[in-house]
Amino acid sequence: MSDVSVSSDSVKSDVEPMVAVYRHDVHKARSRSHEHAEHELHGVRVNEPVPHGADADAALLSRPRGEPEQTVDAHESWYRLSLLTGQVVSTTEAVDDVNAALRELVECEDAETLHAAWVESSVPALFSESPYYPYTSLKFHTLLAAALLDNYRSGFEFDELFLAVTPRDAAREIVPHQTVLATPGFALHVTGEPDGRPAAQLGDVPARSFADTWARLPELPFDVDASRLWRVLDAQLRRVRSWSVALQYVEEFVAAFEPESNSQRRRGAAESRGGRRE
Amino acid sequence: MTRLQQVLFKLDGQYLGHPYFVTGNALFNAIARRVDEQVARALNVSHGVFLPGEYGEYPLAASQDGYAGKLGQSLPEVEAYEDLFVFRDPAHRWLLDSRPRDAHNTHPLQVHGDRVAFDSTCWFGRPKKMRDHRRSVSWYLHCYVHAQPGDDDVLPVSTDVLNGVQVGGARNYEFGKLSVAETQVVDVEALDFSRLEAAQRSDESCWIELVTPFVLETEHPCGDAQSIPWWWGVDKSELRCRETRFVDGDETYAVTTVDHGQLVPYTGPNPVRTAVNGVYRVGTHSRFGFGELRVWPPGADRVPERVVDREGDAA
Repeated sequence: MSDVSVSSDSVKSDVEPMVAVYRHDVHKARSRSHEHAEHELHGVRVNEPVPHGADADAALLSRPRGEPEQTVDAHESWYRLSLLTGQVVSTTEAVDDVNAALRELVECEDAETLHAAWVESSVPALFSESPYYPYTSLKFHTLLAAALLDNYRSGFEFDELFLAVTPRDAAREIVPHQTVLATPGFALHVTGEPDGRPAAQLGDVPARSFADTWARLPELPFDVDASRLWRVLDAQLRRVRSWSVALQYVEEFVAAFEPESNSQRRRGAAESRGGRRE
Repeated sequence: MTRLQQVLFKLDGQYLGHPYFVTGNALFNAIARRVDEQVARALNVSHGVFLPGEYGEYPLAASQDGYAGKLGQSLPEVEAYEDLFVFRDPAHRWLLDSRPRDAHNTHPLQVHGDRVAFDSTCWFGRPKKMRDHRRSVSWYLHCYVHAQPGDDDVLPVSTDVLNGVQVGGARNYEFGKLSVAETQVVDVEALDFSRLEAAQRSDESCWIELVTPFVLETEHPCGDAQSIPWWWGVDKSELRCRETRFVDGDETYAVTTVDHGQLVPYTGPNPVRTAVNGVYRVGTHSRFGFGELRVWPPGADRVPERVVDREGDAA
């Protein structure tokens, strides 16, 4: 993580790092690589480096180290593939004007407002972290990078961080920058201070370890004994290694099946879902 | 005395049962009705772990290394203790990085009314009109059987008996049908335990991975309540427990278990002995797949990148 932080410290920037981290990768939502990205969007600087190597570490949580290779034939695109449906997400959840929708995700100068906007937004979930790894999610990569940066700035090292969950039956809580996923019923956080919340350590070094971390949680955020749908979700999460893929899967699964309302799932919502993957 | 028979099934239809694994109890009941009473009494059946048949490479700790071709469709050779677990981890870390590993390793879901089933095959491909460019990934199920001491001659269970067993719900609609892809008999005591022997000589402690749930309390008349084994370096409050149902004929019994997938420090004196016992499983209900353990030597990690990274740092 050292080389990124050295180079970024020398970059002149008058933007607060916790604001910059939400803007650093929006070029991906415009289907541009880092090298070919524009430096301004809606009048604010984007595409800036993230200090402390938080961006590189967040990338390692979801993608392998080394030179990227195309992992899905015939899908060289920034549009994300859904792990739930196998379909390209942009064709099922169209947004009229991506550029306009990105405005609230970059424009504000208040970091906490930006975090809240990213947690709620579905627009960056249309895109992947990389065209080579199309099941990854730009939305959750950015939230993970922000959570790592926030913790690093508080003095925590990577091996001191935890995945923490809102305890079951407690009110859902959003912690600025550290909440990486919020569904209507529960939230997941990456934090150095679990504060009594059920938590499992991320490990010594950043790696695709979601299944490992999830399986070690002392308590799950949903009641697997109450509904088979929760058990199906839990079983799937013990299989997924990439962090941004897994968090995106939770968000999609909860939206599609609404397991909270028990087995009385909204009919029709998922009738067309099949095992086909693009 | 110490043999076990690994069985790799191919999933031939959709599956509508326990989402984490097929319990050893379900497999036992499916097999027991096809064998005579003496064989049924002798059989111990493990939980069945789902896996995709896909290209992979052997895990770091396995006795063989490198690219393995389509790993999930046949049984790799078993020479070392670590080889027993190649298919026992739901994260299937042997899948290749050069392919979409998480997409290969999540169950394709099928919705029937308000029920979600696992499909037996997942299709990957270009747009529908380009039919020739599709490829598929099929799902398999790995389990093993062994016999009570003294009844070892019941192994191997013949392929004819195992072929066509059905597990899970909706079996009248051809759900949960299994066919045998391969079986092999392994002599556990003859395996290479050198990594654990080295750990036994060192001061550093081992870890235990709970491969399947460990039963604490049961309503079943055959089982007693159990406490956490003394050689686990945790107390119960640190572990994730859950209640599940155990089906026996027409009756179901509530069973409280320590949930699988968790790691606990090993505080006993003999990791090799514990490792062997863990293969045959510990606790009540071990006959039906509960209480399977894997012992990890110090410095090993379930996530391969972490190990590579640590070695890289040292160099």
